[in-house]
Amino acid sequence: MPLPERGGPLAGVRVLEITKVWAGPYAGKLLAFLGAEVIKVESKSNLDEMRAYGGVDIDSAPYFLSINQEVQSVQVNMKSEEGMALLRDMIAKSDIVIDNLRPGAMERLGLSYEDVKAIRPDIIQVSIKMYGTDGPLGYQTGYAPCFAALGGLSYLVGHEGETPRGMNIRYGDSTVGASAAFAAIAALHHRARTGEGQFIDVSAVETLSSMVGDSLFAHAMTNVAPQADGNAHPEMAPHGCYPCAGGEWLSIAVASEEEWQALCGVLGAEALVDDARFANLAARLTNRPDLDAALAGLTAARDTTELAEALRATGVPAFKSMSSLDLVSDDFLWASGAYRMVTDARGGTRPVIGPGWRMSPDEAAIERGAPLLGEHNDYVYRELLGLSSDQLDDLIARAIVD
Amino acid sequence: MTALIGLKIVEIAERVAGEYASKLLADFGAEVIKIERPGGAPTRVMGPFVRGESTLFKYLHTNKKSVVLDLEQATDRAVLDRLLAKADALIDDHAPIWAEAHGLNREQVAARHAHLVHCAITPFGQEAPAEWQIARPLNVMNAGGWGYHTPSETPADKPPLKGAGRFMSDYEAGLEAALCVAASLWRKRQTGKGQFIDISEIAVQLSRADCVLGRILAGEADAGPERARYDMGGPGATFACKDGHVFLVMTTRAHWTGLCQLMGNPDWTTAFPADWLEFHCTADRVAEFRAGFTGWIVTQEKDAVAEAAQKLGVALVQVNTAADLPDNPQYRHRGYFQTLEGVAHPTVPYRMSASPVRLASPAPVLGADQEEVA
Repeated sequence: MPLPERGGPLAGVRVLEITKVWAGPYAGKLLAFLGAEVIKVESKSNLDEMRAYGGVDIDSAPYFLSINQEVQSVQVNMKSEEGMALLRDMIAKSDIVIDNLRPGAMERLGLSYEDVKAIRPDIIQVSIKMYGTDGPLGYQTGYAPCFAALGGLSYLVGHEGETPRGMNIRYGDSTVGASAAFAAIAALHHRARTGEGQFIDVSAVETLSSMVGDSLFAHAMTNVAPQADGNAHPEMAPHGCYPCAGGEWLSIAVASEEEWQALCGVLGAEALVDDARFANLAARLTNRPDLDAALAGLTAARDTTELAEALRATGVPAFKSMSSLDLVSDDFLWASGAYRMVTDARGGTRPVIGPGWRMSPDEAAIERGAPLLGEHNDYVYRELLGLSSDQLDDLIARAIVD
Repeated sequence: MTALIGLKIVEIAERVAGEYASKLLADFGAEVIKIERPGGAPTRVMGPFVRGESTLFKYLHTNKKSVVLDLEQATDRAVLDRLLAKADALIDDHAPIWAEAHGLNREQVAARHAHLVHCAITPFGQEAPAEWQIARPLNVMNAGGWGYHTPSETPADKPPLKGAGRFMSDYEAGLEAALCVAASLWRKRQTGKGQFIDISEIAVQLSRADCVLGRILAGEADAGPERARYDMGGPGATFACKDGHVFLVMTTRAHWTGLCQLMGNPDWTTAFPADWLEFHCTADRVAEFRAGFTGWIVTQEKDAVAEAAQKLGVALVQVNTAADLPDNPQYRHRGYFQTLEGVAHPTVPYRMSASPVRLASPAPVLGADQEEVA
């Protein structure tokens, strides 16, 4: 059965995903959300561990269902020569191949860039590794917080005067996937102009360096190494999270004297405006601990939502620091498409997180949940590769399709 | 020859989010014309400064051209239309009310320039209330959930944090915008048609939380006010070592065996079951582990211990500082920093065999390319 038309800017682009866990699958998902046809290569003999976390049913694993919407699943046993031959046939029909296997694993499968280029000369191969594919440290592996630590990002996150702690431990993989997806699309443009494919070697560590690029560049220019600075900002004060009633927090970022005066007005603290310690930005930066303490005293008993609305109404950017409960119960996020509902092959529906964009016209449909293992075997083997149903049955019987 | 050569992009953005999006495209060879207000872009007056120049502006505007236009004036506004008529994409990050006042909202641009890929980056997207349209990176990091949950294991009385540096949420949104613009330009190659792209900085933050927030959204993990809801549990954390800091992640029996070997199997480790990380990872045990490990790791030097750990399959890595990276052998090998005017510029995390990013020109002086509109 042909796949339904979904629209979107990448309609007509086919991506083969040989990925596991998070960064690679997230790259595939972004391309699928942009309209590409993304086929995830899987097998029981070499399962994405996300299908195993959180239960025994590999078709209803929470992590896997949360990541892999709008992608197809095809089974192929990559430990068999016959399976590898089928995989090579799939590569021949694809524009882009993405992997995030361990260093050296693609080469051992006979899927180095030279190998895949021999299958399809204009293939775009995207390979995501912690430190990149080759080089003196290319053998090293790790998890997302390792990327952030190595990339110079973690060192910049922490409460002032304490050990730098880094972002929340879950941060990083998805950003790496987004970088990989962007580079893949750039390569499509190069191919359109020149007919040439290429190998894209993505470093997860460098991706997170790029999230602090100006800090790294400032160091190169000034030779002063930036430090973890809590919520301090050299050009804004007040700039921080202030306590409100019920243990909640309100983020406030003040960039001008008008905003400062408006803040004091809403807080009923006109005296602060006349306080010499806070007379201008330079004074407020110098006296930041006093400033933050004075403000915390004024916000601590206030209702977060009411105070935020009152501040925004006077032009002061103030937004609640959102807990997981706040986020999933936020009406605006539901109404604006930040969350979507998808349906899976068993007819179950599930809310998922949408992409960071809306497009018009021709936004790609996001309607289908993560695939069952092998849900698209028929499509791939029969429609794409042109096998008969008897041939496919035989492959299944012999566990080449497993 | 790099990937986006031949594509022409007009940047009217004035914040880091939009400026970074078009930098990513410019570094791939797209011709990016930055429109600056008389007196210069706001990021030109943001520090730190070297010899009177903003390092921030310099970083964000490699490979771009600068044209000064006063969009408040009808004649200059007409010049912008002439540029847009010849351009492939327009990148903006102003509030919708500004765009409308300047004849640059979705409908106004589409009516005159149906061929254009028009990308607008705003904190909450185009549909958000007007008073939500000014949100700074600190606000975005908090409104999107990462702030509340950063760092991991933060006690309730410590404030949420803004993330690393000043602009993390801008870089995330800028990357998303570059991704969408590149995809939409691909569509334009096939169809000749433009498209409007509405980037929400908050939606990008949520998307990056992906399966962590996604399981909570689906009810498979509990939502709640606790700061630890995004945490993973386990002993993973930053530790001080002899010459800086390291980060350790440990989740399996193999990690534990490897780490014990790395430490020379000290006596205190015998109190831990071999499979404690998988099946007996209590808060008490994590605390006990950290107490023992802290005493050992503080005697170690980060490069040597990280290398030894890798060889034993242990994910123990250096917490690098900005000063560590230019000399990192892997960064040198990959050429992550490219030298332009004698200064090492951070570049991009993807090495491309056929169309590599190349820094050809430093950030322009104000109005350097005014002849483009002469």
